[in-house]
Amino acid sequence: MKMKLTRRNFLKGSGAACLTAAASTLPGCSGVGGSEEASDTRWGMIIDPRRCVGCRACTVACKAENHTPPGVAYNVVLEEERGSFPHVTRSYLTRPCMQCARSSCTLVCPTKATYKRSDGITVIDYDKCIGCRYCIAACPYGARCFDYGHNYLAELTPPEKQPSPEYGENRQRAKGVSPMGNVRKCTFCLHRLAKGLNPACAETCIGHAIHFGNLADPQGRCLIHGESLQELLVSRSSSRLKEELGNEPSVYYLD
Amino acid sequence: MPRKNETSRIPLPLRLAAYALLVLGLLAGAAGLLELVTDGHLHENTTLHVPWGLWVAMYIFFLGLSAGAFLITTLPYLFGVRRLEPIGPLALVTSLVCLLLAGLLIMADLGHPLRMYQVMLSMNLTSPMAWMGILYSIYAVIIVSHLYLVLRPTMVARVKEGTGPTALYRLLALRSRRTDAASVAGDRRWLRRLSVMGIAVTVLVLGCEGSIFAVAKARPHWFGGLFPLVILISALASGGALMTFLTAISTRLPAEEKQGIVRWLAVFMVSILTLEMLILGTELFTAFYGGVEHELHTWEATVTGPYGLNFWGLQIGLGFMLPLLLVLSPGSRRSTTWLGLAGFLGVIGLIGTRISLVIPAQLVPVFEGFGDAYKHMRFQEGYLPSTGEWLITVGVFALGCWLLLAAFRLLPLDGSHLVAQSKGV
Repeated sequence: MKMKLTRRNFLKGSGAACLTAAASTLPGCSGVGGSEEASDTRWGMIIDPRRCVGCRACTVACKAENHTPPGVAYNVVLEEERGSFPHVTRSYLTRPCMQCARSSCTLVCPTKATYKRSDGITVIDYDKCIGCRYCIAACPYGARCFDYGHNYLAELTPPEKQPSPEYGENRQRAKGVSPMGNVRKCTFCLHRLAKGLNPACAETCIGHAIHFGNLADPQGRCLIHGESLQELLVSRSSSRLKEELGNEPSVYYLD
Repeated sequence: MPRKNETSRIPLPLRLAAYALLVLGLLAGAAGLLELVTDGHLHENTTLHVPWGLWVAMYIFFLGLSAGAFLITTLPYLFGVRRLEPIGPLALVTSLVCLLLAGLLIMADLGHPLRMYQVMLSMNLTSPMAWMGILYSIYAVIIVSHLYLVLRPTMVARVKEGTGPTALYRLLALRSRRTDAASVAGDRRWLRRLSVMGIAVTVLVLGCEGSIFAVAKARPHWFGGLFPLVILISALASGGALMTFLTAISTRLPAEEKQGIVRWLAVFMVSILTLEMLILGTELFTAFYGGVEHELHTWEATVTGPYGLNFWGLQIGLGFMLPLLLVLSPGSRRSTTWLGLAGFLGVIGLIGTRISLVIPAQLVPVFEGFGDAYKHMRFQEGYLPSTGEWLITVGVFALGCWLLLAAFRLLPLDGSHLVAQSKGV
């Protein structure tokens, strides 16, 4: 109890400090070419699948936040059922973009439309993207979607008429205009980070399964729940998806 | 040499039916294009798992035809296969037309084709697709230069004779007037140099084309050093097959010469196809014997399921077994018509090869059960081309046929005057 209290007290101060620090290091995000993090920042996620209940609130929050159309989902939940009755278990895996340190997508993009920021987030310059989808073919995690131009209804719904805050660009989706015809992806809600807020999926998760913070900081804490990120990684064994490919994802999964 | 139109040998009803089909093909393409311009890629059936569909498969098909046809034109100048010299102009025009068709298909596949210039302006030097942008351009320049050098003396001679569309010939010959032996010898020197460069660039183009797929470690079936080699070998087979067919149906060469060329090309085609089949056989053996899950699933998708018909029917049956039979069988191996048919079947089979190379590799999603993660057609597993994709593809094929027909009619491609040269006279 004492420990919890200490921790909570600590978090009240340090969590706020972290958020303030994060906000101060993200001075505005006016487009993907805008200001970037200092290189000692590497935004990442630590996901605890044991806490995931498979509600898919992360998917919904992401879609609502980024105004993504049907067929475009940056964060999805993979489901796996194992065993046979009565010994059956079902597990869920939240899959945002892995923001790989050695990303396949940025390597193959012919126009440098997709590139890595120094804070580890992979972004897309919609005005440079020619829509060749090479990055989709190259991504081992299926974390990229092509905007084919689907809408929810023939008549645009009010939320669809609102511009997407992605990259702080406030683009209005329209026929033949980017991001339609472009590849789109999760940016850890870069536009929210710029305001000192956390990615929508992590913020929304009802099971506190998604931890988010600066993985490059040895003292880094989850900006939402306050746990020490490094402690989380060492106290429980963790792994990254398809580690053998050498992409060095910035998203860890606790076992 | 009588300038009798070779196509007049084909019965009139058949010719009319062919023209009607080609008109319908163009109309289909126009309908597909209209849909593409109006609604973008909305009606395409590609997905998150299969981002590259029929258009990309057909793009590498046409690029293979182009490169293969071009490589055949270099054989006389580099490897002394003088027998093939008369079909040089035809092969070069075919190569150029196929290159254009490949470009059109890739334009259709792009979400923002009008931004293609970004590949040059903001080139990512680590991207095989960006390398392809450079090589594709150099390759196009080499083909056009080659074509100019091959056609120039004939066009200048025709201008002097006043036969054919002289204004067009004068323009295409860049107002050149020389037909003397020195200028022709100069052209040949340049042709030899261009052939050396051309072979290097073509191998690079094909290698680069293969590398686009081969470096994608997300797709184990593509990943690895074999893919670019398969693309290269397959391109040679493509060139052999298409030129066998076109030489058989379109050139006005003396019958003996024509038969010799068609036979050489048909044997070349089935030899390369046999090599391709050997590689395919070893791949299938190791995949099914080794049983590595992802490889196995991909090969299962290739040889069974919706793409099984493509594999057994097009790639193996029509594309390899039948041509092999026609080339080996005593009844058909001396007939230009039958060998031409073998070439045609070879080309059709290579469509199947390209589909097998591109599409099934993507049918196995990067995560098991990924298709159920989000309920939408773009997340669903599996892929079959949409009507729009077929329409555009048919249109591109029809356009290719029209362009070749126009080239036959307008350009001096018959090469009969080169027969004497090829014999060293």
